[in-house]
Amino acid sequence: MNRILSTFASMLIFVAFLNAQESGFNKVKDIEEVKSDLSRLTENTTSIQSEFIQEKHLSFLTENIVSKGKFYFKSPNKLRWEYSEPFEYMIVFNDKNIIIKDEEKISSFDTESNKMFSEINNMMIGTIQGNLFKDSERFNVQYFENANQYLLELDPKSSEMKSMIKTIKIYIDKSSISVAKIKMIESSDDYTSIDFKNRKLNEIINDSKFEL
Amino acid sequence: MSFNKRINIIIPPLFKRGLGGLINLHIVNPPVPLLQGGKFLLIFVLLIGSCSAPYKKLPRTELDVSESKNIPYALPYSSKALIFKADINFYKNNVSGLLIIKKIDENIYRIALTTQFGLKIFDFELNHGDLKVEYCAEYLSKKVILNTLQNDFNLLLMQNKIESIYNYKLEDQNKSVWQLNSGNLNYSYIQDTDSQKIVNMSFRKQNSEKISVRLHAYKGDIPGEINLEHHNIKLNMNLKLIQ
Repeated sequence: MNRILSTFASMLIFVAFLNAQESGFNKVKDIEEVKSDLSRLTENTTSIQSEFIQEKHLSFLTENIVSKGKFYFKSPNKLRWEYSEPFEYMIVFNDKNIIIKDEEKISSFDTESNKMFSEINNMMIGTIQGNLFKDSERFNVQYFENANQYLLELDPKSSEMKSMIKTIKIYIDKSSISVAKIKMIESSDDYTSIDFKNRKLNEIINDSKFEL
Repeated sequence: MSFNKRINIIIPPLFKRGLGGLINLHIVNPPVPLLQGGKFLLIFVLLIGSCSAPYKKLPRTELDVSESKNIPYALPYSSKALIFKADINFYKNNVSGLLIIKKIDENIYRIALTTQFGLKIFDFELNHGDLKVEYCAEYLSKKVILNTLQNDFNLLLMQNKIESIYNYKLEDQNKSVWQLNSGNLNYSYIQDTDSQKIVNMSFRKQNSEKISVRLHAYKGDIPGEINLEHHNIKLNMNLKLIQ
């Protein structure tokens, strides 16, 4: 009886392990090496610009909702995130200011007075740069890799954030050390994935991109 | 331009008065003084009401409740998901994102709102008029807000439980009105007879308008724009069709 139980238990553990690990990716053996690799990414990146394709998966829909746009990032704290299809919407973080342009309507906020926006700001810049993994206060991080990419899986620690997001997956190309894809999985297993295309690193971006 | 002003352009004042008259006539919730004045006065008022132009020959048809399915409808009874860009203003708060409406089964809908970045704000199932929360962000998860959203979606998706249906033709306005009643609650769906589209919806309680909806910029069978406004609370919802 005991043997059956222990076999069953080890099977369960094996299944759980399979579930936790994305196929094709193995657990990173030397985490410190990856960390220093990734630190170089943030230290040496002065700017990123890229197109993106966002897919929203909802369990009750047969097709994902696809939206497209582009973003501009200038270190350390300027970001313009702009949707062009199938709607027009833009959010700009310029140090402490946040400007949202929703079609013709423009509204501005201050990250210092708005805790939620300040969180969004930190999270977006952290994911785009890939250095959200350093935030051990808020995330448990697991490191995976395959031949071409690192995969960081970030599980939020606070119950407030857990109620919204189960895991954030960040895929980083080893060759360019830049973020290729992010996937945010909600507690319901619905997810949003964002693929970055035509990435350009360290090209000059005019500051006017971050003013409206 | 405020929503009320827009409504006035869509429905000329005469029509509004007419609709009010109709409701007074047939959904009798007479004010107390009227009753005190006796039946005679009531009949007199009804007569005046029914004789007031231009509705004296207004044909009014009572339909069987089961015929509610046959009412021309703004959001078609299909399983294709509709996606709207949504802008919701609640007092000083603004929530914007994508509103997804999908019919799952007969009288069962899934309604979800996500931010532009994809994060879910709410995810409801509307099952025979009852709102079931699959997910709701904490800041919206309050009974009064959920009840309000339930009322809004029931009106938009014609999911209210009803006891009777009347149809009125307003020939001179090129309008046809379906009025669905349940006790002192009335839900009106107003069709433009030229375009055959539903152009307005309205929810009244004890003959006082609580919610009005304007539907326009149709793309095929589906309204390209929907403007919903509450009259007793500062809440409005503007939807623009994406797909």
